[in-house]
Amino acid sequence: MSDKQGYRWHDPVHAPGGVGKRVPKSDGAAKADGSGVYADDLSFPRMLHAKLLRSPHANARIRSIDTSKAEACPGVIATLVGAELPARYGVIPWTHDEQALATDHARFIGDEVACVAAVDERTAEEALRLISVDYEVLPALLSPEEALARPDIKVNEKAKVGNITKHVSLAFGDVDAALAGAAARSHQSYYYAGNTHAPIEPHCAVARVDGDGNLTVWSSTQIPHYVHRELSRVLGLPPARIRVVQPLLGGAFGGKSDPFSLEFCAAKLALKTGRPVKLLFTREEVFYSHRGRHPMKMDVQVALNSDGMIAAVDNKILIDGGAYASFGLVTAYYSGQLLTGPYRFGTYRFDSTRVYTNKPPCGPKRGHGSVQPRFAFEVALDEAAHQLHIDPIEVRRRNFIGENVETVNGQRITSNGFLKCLEVVESASGWKDRHGKLGRGRGLGVAGSMYISGTAYPVYPNEMPQSGVLVKLDRSGRVAIFSGASDIGQGVNTLLGQIASEEIGCDPRDVTVVSSDTDLTPVDLGAYSSRVTFMTGIAAKEACGKLRAQLQAAAAAKLGCAPEDIEFELGTVRVARDPAKNASFQQACQWAEAREGRPLAETGGYRTKDIGEGKLGGDYRGGTIGASPAYSFTAHIAEVEVDEETGMWSCKKVWAAHDCGKALNPTLVEGQIEGSVYMGVAEAQLEEMVYNDRGLLFGPSLLDYRIPTSLDTPLLEASIVESGDPNGPYGAKEAGEGPLHAAIPAIANALFDACGIRVRELPFTPAKILALLRERDERAKGGA
Amino acid sequence: MLTLPVLQIHRPESLDEAVALLRDRPGAKVLAGGTDIVPNLKYGMYEARELVALRGLSRELRYIREEEGELRLGAMCSVEQLAQHTRVRQLFPALADAAAAIAGPQLRRMGTLGGNLCLDTRCVYINQSHFWRSALGYCLKKDGTVCHVVKGGQRCVAAASNDTAPILMALGAQVRLVSPRGERTLALEDLYVADGVKNTQIAGDELLVEARVPLAAASLKQAYGKLRLRNAVDFPALNFGVAVGVNEGKVSSLRLCVGALAARPAMVRHVDELKGRSVGTAAEIRALGDELGKRAQKQCKPLTNIGVDPEWRREILPVLIRRGVEKAFL
Amino acid sequence: MTGSPQKQVLVTLHVNGEAQSVAVAAQATLLEALRYGLGLTGSKQGCDKGDCGACTVLARPLDDAQARADGCGARGEPILACITLAQDAQTLALTTIEGLASPQGLDPIQQAFADCGALQCGFCQPGMMLSARALLDHTPRPSLPQIQQALSGNLCRCTGYTKIYEAVQVAAGTREPSQGVPVRSEPAPGVSGPRVAVEEIAP
Repeated sequence: MSDKQGYRWHDPVHAPGGVGKRVPKSDGAAKADGSGVYADDLSFPRMLHAKLLRSPHANARIRSIDTSKAEACPGVIATLVGAELPARYGVIPWTHDEQALATDHARFIGDEVACVAAVDERTAEEALRLISVDYEVLPALLSPEEALARPDIKVNEKAKVGNITKHVSLAFGDVDAALAGAAARSHQSYYYAGNTHAPIEPHCAVARVDGDGNLTVWSSTQIPHYVHRELSRVLGLPPARIRVVQPLLGGAFGGKSDPFSLEFCAAKLALKTGRPVKLLFTREEVFYSHRGRHPMKMDVQVALNSDGMIAAVDNKILIDGGAYASFGLVTAYYSGQLLTGPYRFGTYRFDSTRVYTNKPPCGPKRGHGSVQPRFAFEVALDEAAHQLHIDPIEVRRRNFIGENVETVNGQRITSNGFLKCLEVVESASGWKDRHGKLGRGRGLGVAGSMYISGTAYPVYPNEMPQSGVLVKLDRSGRVAIFSGASDIGQGVNTLLGQIASEEIGCDPRDVTVVSSDTDLTPVDLGAYSSRVTFMTGIAAKEACGKLRAQLQAAAAAKLGCAPEDIEFELGTVRVARDPAKNASFQQACQWAEAREGRPLAETGGYRTKDIGEGKLGGDYRGGTIGASPAYSFTAHIAEVEVDEETGMWSCKKVWAAHDCGKALNPTLVEGQIEGSVYMGVAEAQLEEMVYNDRGLLFGPSLLDYRIPTSLDTPLLEASIVESGDPNGPYGAKEAGEGPLHAAIPAIANALFDACGIRVRELPFTPAKILALLRERDERAKGGA
Repeated sequence: MLTLPVLQIHRPESLDEAVALLRDRPGAKVLAGGTDIVPNLKYGMYEARELVALRGLSRELRYIREEEGELRLGAMCSVEQLAQHTRVRQLFPALADAAAAIAGPQLRRMGTLGGNLCLDTRCVYINQSHFWRSALGYCLKKDGTVCHVVKGGQRCVAAASNDTAPILMALGAQVRLVSPRGERTLALEDLYVADGVKNTQIAGDELLVEARVPLAAASLKQAYGKLRLRNAVDFPALNFGVAVGVNEGKVSSLRLCVGALAARPAMVRHVDELKGRSVGTAAEIRALGDELGKRAQKQCKPLTNIGVDPEWRREILPVLIRRGVEKAFL
Repeated sequence: MTGSPQKQVLVTLHVNGEAQSVAVAAQATLLEALRYGLGLTGSKQGCDKGDCGACTVLARPLDDAQARADGCGARGEPILACITLAQDAQTLALTTIEGLASPQGLDPIQQAFADCGALQCGFCQPGMMLSARALLDHTPRPSLPQIQQALSGNLCRCTGYTKIYEAVQVAAGTREPSQGVPVRSEPAPGVSGPRVAVEEIAP
């Protein structure tokens, strides 16, 4: 079929089908025709609009709040202050340090202090200006150094010692001895600036109470289950009376994986007023909400033996956490625990301190906690290898840790396709002919990395399933999959249809996926730490497998063969050695319904302990943090061009090869690789959260906080490597975060190839590049 | 949502009606494409509660024509039209370049020449929401008494951020203003004043209706240069327009205008000293560029009103100018 | 928004070929009127001040002579609804994402975006698709630089733009969809190093 404009309705390479096929997304049509419903698209009769009042001070005691003038405003229906919902919450149970609205202490400029619900946004906003807050302004601590130096000024009362969120230091082997005996060493300081997710959809929550007093909250969230738990605790309502629904979500990247003020306030106001309440963030508020990349100061040593093997890695890291913990306990661990692959470290030590400061809180941004140290390490590795005249790809090959091994810090690596990743990008980029040979101002750089496919264990300790899927069939031949997992655009709902197609032979277009609705779907911990493909995939495979057995038994009885002789293919069931004996999938469903005598519905779940690999992670305190049932691997090569007269540079192309175990949908995996690389390049090039001397964030807009447009983004060539993980569903591992890491150091290493400078601070602004070029020229003059 | 204040929107159908409204509704602001005024209103930067929308004047004021030795550009021309128009590209390619460098595709279609010439000055301390500015403690430009760019400064130095102004000034353009009292034509460089609060001398009842570029200027070697951190939707971190007259292989006239400094696009001075220089070879052209660059660097002081390292901008300004000159001679 | 204490005005908007009247606040933007007045929620609010392009709609003057003088495409030129005042949009023929499909099905742009993986979270995409549609209306077989230029006012955070370009090119008929095949890695048994002593220095 083709149309007047010459577009050919291309045929099934993008076929319906099972795993491994480029199946078009199940929500593609809804997203393409504008009918898909995101949180701000929801509207209810008599719905009110709420707005949040935020602290203009980075650190202040709240003496009193007077909302009376706001309440008297025509069109204002209710106000809310912290005293009405003071219970503390936080995504990590050990750090319940946040309140929906600050009761007595505002900790950063933008911290939420009061809320107003009115008949429209403008009325609500005007009413905010009528709320008077009596602040006692306190000195603000705006850097980790300042915060460490002033333990007497408490940014966050949850900190046990001064302003420290978490200090963790672990050593594996005799690092100092290894450093002393090393043949080559890089020991330098690095700085990674803070940056943020900037999803195109701002946060939005809509809350409604029905006639029975049951509360529903629709929210643009990655973690409906954790939001459900926290809503229950903070509102004092049993979880059975609360329903959390995640509609279509317009980008998250870790910025929507905490419970937020807007959810609690919308809910409380809905309860208070008896009317639906919507709270939509402005773009500026998304910046204050933050939970983005932690700024990190790193002191990094990488030491190689004369054969180029990594003898020791030693990192000292100072992490700027912002005012609340968020996932900060985990960040401190991740900054050290995730570096120990794809290369073998002889010995390893890290010392990480996350500090509270009076700024918007940092949290998990794609590649949570490990992107920063990876940058420093991959640059240091290049530098040390350079001293030994070893090619950057060669040193990485030599140090490859392999499959089915344990890392120096006790992480168990199963499948590992990193060598193939290196090979693919080496070949695709023409590395051998071009590295070191592109002439002044042009260069290639390489880097590798590793990432988790979900954290082994849930954020709150329990024995219950971490993912759950329920699959239902009936005589119509339509399949319904109920999944708690959050589809945040990565396409998990599509994958579920493909898994069903793979297991029971239905057409994925005959599958309905009901997702992330706490009333209807089994619990899934959410879309964070790249857990969904692995964990929800396994759950779906289990549920579909049970149905497969029922279908096989029923079809075998009717078609006259043994159940194991029944095979499935896209809408048909048939006898394997006698394909003339077949029936439609729909017919098979009817046979099975009749044979079973009860509805066909099965569940599947995932728990790390059920994989049967024993307890994952090292046998020491914190050893499980960073432990994962499977790790993905990535190798990138970046090509850059530098204008040495101005310091301006651009990345022309990135070749990225990512080992995701098995690409359940190559189009979706490529999309994740491309999007991750884009985000990494953006961090290297443009993004930085900058504050003034009072803790006010400069430029909280998408004009000032620049993310690359189409004219700023390099050509991206994504390649998929499949190593077939023994535990992943069909061998699959993650692809959503891993491919971000290596882009940044690949660019840094390319800048060295291009003009002999080592960039150690992000972002790589032209001013910094120019300064490094001047230094280089000075050194050259000095004959150094 | 960024809510707008309650506004009364007048929609005149003719220029006469428009300027009469401006006279009769003091404090009313002009709404052309809206790409500057609407975001600024959303940020609470203006007290104005009435707008005079000019869309109805499109037929009257959207034209590009050659008349009396000038290329005359109606103020309601869209930026995109300016960038794509055959005659503009032929006669004044640097002007087309400047227009093409503005913002992004949608904003260029909405934005107008008049709007760009009258673009409000910009500063990291003013182009933010009311909440943000209140947390800052406000500033000289609005609601406050302190300048956060110049310590102790008494005069607002928010930056002229228009792309079209520097090149039009270098080309010696004029603008025509109309009011109920009559009309006047003045050199574009005289339109601007060194006051970031309001950097034009357009009166409350006046409307900028036309820009005029002498057709003779088409023979000038001309170029537009823009420094920005990303390649779309970015105001200039520095920009300039240069126009060099050449007669028998020697410089006969020289104009260089640099923007994105303080409130007024700055005509670089002491350039007449360079008249008479030979520009026959690449080396000579480069040398001219270096000389202009040196003067520009001496006279131009990038400030922290724009959130791009001012020291770096100062350092590379001569390189950018030199390259602009070389481009002009291509 | 009903029940508002603020006075409303009636605007008549010509959207997707139909004239519709809706009561909105005097200062309502076109985006508000579309989303909350007319229930056309396909146009999105990403920043509400003209920085991101998520609210892009196509606009063409109703006055045909003006449209031709402006060089407008058949469906219009891309503009930003969030900084267009509803009252000031009444002389425009508007096309939103909801107006792109026909009774025969999705527009080739929409189909290509859906098939080529250009839709991840989908939020920037109505605006993106409309910008792409306007491009193809002017330039049926655009080069990659032309595509990049045409889409430079639409920010996407998910895709790195790569599959968006592919989708536009597929819709234009200038390339086939991606058919790359994953590469299998070879088994690479590693040897775990000797167990090292672990020191819990802190906490």
